[in-house]
Amino acid sequence: MEKKEQVFSKHMTGKNTREHLDRFNDMLKGMMAPGELKSGPLEGLEVVEVGNANFPGMICAAMLGEMGASVIKIEPPGGDTAREATYSGIYLNGAGIPFVMESRNKRLVTADLDNASDMNRVSELISNSEVVIDAMPPGYLDMHGAGYRQLSKTNPSIVYAALAPYGHFTSKARNGRHIPDTDLTAQAESGYPALTGNPDAPEPYNFPLRAGIWTAAYTSAAVAVAGILTALLFKISTGRGQMVDVATYDALSTWQAFSLVWGFTNEEPRQRIGNFDWCLFPYGYYKAKDGYVTVAAASDSDFRGLLKILGRWDLEDDWRHLFDRIADDPHRLSELEQEIKKEVAKHTRRELFDKTFAYGAKAARDKLRSKGFPIVVETRTPQEAAREKHWEIRNSFSHIETKETGIITLPSLPPRMSETPSKINFLTTALGADNAIMQDIE
Amino acid sequence: MPQDYFDYTGNLFDPGKISEKPEALKDLKVLDLTRVIFGPMVGKWFALFGAEVIKIEQPDEGDDWRTGTYMGKYWKESCPYFQSLNPNKYFIAIDLKKEEGKELVKELAKQSDVVIENFRAGLIEAWGLGYSTISKINPKIIYISCSGYGQYGPLRYFPSYDLIAQSMSGVARLTGYSEDDTYKLPDYFGDFFPAILGAVGVLAALYNRSKTGKGQYIDMAQTEALMRAMHQWTAQSTGCEELGPTGNSDPTMVPSGIFKTKDDRYIAIAVATQAQFCALCDAMGKQNLTENPDYAQTEKRLKKDNADVLNRIVADWVKEQTESEIIDVARQKGFAAAPVMDDWRLVSDPWRKERGSVIDFEDDMYGHGLWAGPAASLSESPGRIKHLTRPIGYHNRYILKEKLEFSEAHIQSLEDKGVIGYWDNRVGKRPPSYTDMNTDPIFNYKRGKEE
Repeated sequence: MEKKEQVFSKHMTGKNTREHLDRFNDMLKGMMAPGELKSGPLEGLEVVEVGNANFPGMICAAMLGEMGASVIKIEPPGGDTAREATYSGIYLNGAGIPFVMESRNKRLVTADLDNASDMNRVSELISNSEVVIDAMPPGYLDMHGAGYRQLSKTNPSIVYAALAPYGHFTSKARNGRHIPDTDLTAQAESGYPALTGNPDAPEPYNFPLRAGIWTAAYTSAAVAVAGILTALLFKISTGRGQMVDVATYDALSTWQAFSLVWGFTNEEPRQRIGNFDWCLFPYGYYKAKDGYVTVAAASDSDFRGLLKILGRWDLEDDWRHLFDRIADDPHRLSELEQEIKKEVAKHTRRELFDKTFAYGAKAARDKLRSKGFPIVVETRTPQEAAREKHWEIRNSFSHIETKETGIITLPSLPPRMSETPSKINFLTTALGADNAIMQDIE
Repeated sequence: MPQDYFDYTGNLFDPGKISEKPEALKDLKVLDLTRVIFGPMVGKWFALFGAEVIKIEQPDEGDDWRTGTYMGKYWKESCPYFQSLNPNKYFIAIDLKKEEGKELVKELAKQSDVVIENFRAGLIEAWGLGYSTISKINPKIIYISCSGYGQYGPLRYFPSYDLIAQSMSGVARLTGYSEDDTYKLPDYFGDFFPAILGAVGVLAALYNRSKTGKGQYIDMAQTEALMRAMHQWTAQSTGCEELGPTGNSDPTMVPSGIFKTKDDRYIAIAVATQAQFCALCDAMGKQNLTENPDYAQTEKRLKKDNADVLNRIVADWVKEQTESEIIDVARQKGFAAAPVMDDWRLVSDPWRKERGSVIDFEDDMYGHGLWAGPAASLSESPGRIKHLTRPIGYHNRYILKEKLEFSEAHIQSLEDKGVIGYWDNRVGKRPPSYTDMNTDPIFNYKRGKEE
């Protein structure tokens, strides 16, 4: 960002330390570059995804594939209906944007599971694989003779992961087995929209608010990947496989469990408080002269720094402690919010950034006491975010050219791993592109 | 007649049998140098599935989130959020700024399979406890650093929190109704989602190590995790218009939204496919819509004007139904509908208790509570809670005597020099006042039982 690289900790100053950190940075650049000789951590792992209209299952398989597993996706002869979901009417060779994005490193096979001979081949294929991802309605594969109950008899070391809205066990799983997965309904059942939105806006803008990215679908998928890998480690030490069950309407609220904590300790729900936070203030979005900025200056020392930068030390007396600035009374806190809004609006985004970062760098050198670091950055749109050179150096995006899609961009799967980098090798959306796999099965 | 599928799975996952089953990661040793949310949540996955996770904190101060509670409220003199982030871990306090403290961490790292840290990028390297040091004394180590932007690249020293990561990744402007009315993703999604991908990285590295014997370094960035969950990059590379906030409707699904019911509940409905659309129309008694050329195909339905009309039709229909009527018909017909749950409904949800997502747990120090279980259920080696968190330095004696075989005299000399330490008297850091630490067998582990 800056001509001279700034550090924000007194522990990271000093000539020797800086030289060490620079060497470490250079070493990592080399170590993390995806070389031709390196393969992903799951190289050789055989995975079969069987699913329809189930994005968490698709994403889960895509993540395993990007980490080097060999993934075959089985979809109905007319195609997985997840292909239909898309933005702005864009379809690439019969696949919407989310389907394209989650088809990385997958071989696509069609099969009619209601046809006995197709089903036999599918059974054969999945019973010989190490991981099965069941993204069909609960009980569907079991009914067709290829559920965990049957597969575990012929292949006791199989890891069988099931992803369904209410999971594959409990009475609710049974009653809700025909309910399909969508990210929005999964967010809702996880209580997530109840935490967002402006309660003072007119209807319907005061309703609980959907998170603008697929928070539930992606969390469910990642949790399933972690469950599968945990089961594989257990298999390595014991030889035993097992069933992994993820309820896609539940994973978000169980992994990101602060709702449960609040519910247990308060025995009532939180009320929506707009862009306030339940723990921290200031911690939100503000409008500067030329656009939005994000302010995070919640600790007492950070807050004092912010007041100095904004020239509003007069506010310090009334709002000194974090506990003065909590949102238990949002209307009272709005008084402080209005003052900060007023001051932020006087500056450009760049001015605020420069001032706070100069303050942070200087404060970090203070040996005596913590002067804090109030952070103000641009609240970026994706277009603004993408411009950063940083992502290019880190290969945060992959660009891949296919016959069907032209050159498209996909966000790479983090983390970066020094010995076994993840990599997007190929992508196809063509229906039955790899059906030859099935023909080889007797 | 084969057994009913749900009877079969109910038995397979029977929560009553969890404590009899083995733990998946039993012999794994994890050193957890983390604080706040991102790093601790990586460690939590391993702790739930049976790994030995030793959390190292700074004496007196400890993890900042011990006091980072909501609205200043504590539960039994502890931060309940901190409890939920760090169950099953061992808590020891070592001063990382002292040379002897660093040596102690290295001794523990020699015996570990995994190190997790989430200091600001570069800081642990500067302290001499980074990957470049630990990999020399334990080449098989899997070492994960968690930070905002990763450990290399020009933004590496740039500070980050959940909300800053949301802003720098472009997530920030996508939730809400318009450019001038956007909201953050609440409850620190910018920490929790990156954390699960961090755990995935470590698990994958362990899998790989079991085949190759090699350890490695893992660089986990909050921003990159958020970007992985965004469709914008792929959409834009195909020439799609800029995708901004679209309120309560998911632009890939029509109809979709959050609607208000007759009994003043909120309910989400989303239709991803043609088949689901037919099911919804059937439920609404509006089968004719499925024959209307504007709505008959998903591609047509997704057009903005058509979407607006359909979302209004659904809103009007929902207004005349109760929440339970809609859920019943959704189950029958097969379209996606779900109530908008809230904190209290979630934690008191019988389904979540039946699943083990909410666990009724009795802790030796803190007593009864309801806590989040593992987000994935494993039939043969399920995750579980064994104990809640403990005060700063609570397990010093236990770990140093059991793992490093230190004598009581050695430990006392480390205490005298301030190399290891304990809580200060702030609530959240110290033990609850109803406990007597002088008689606590773990805290005083084998004290005075030797020479």
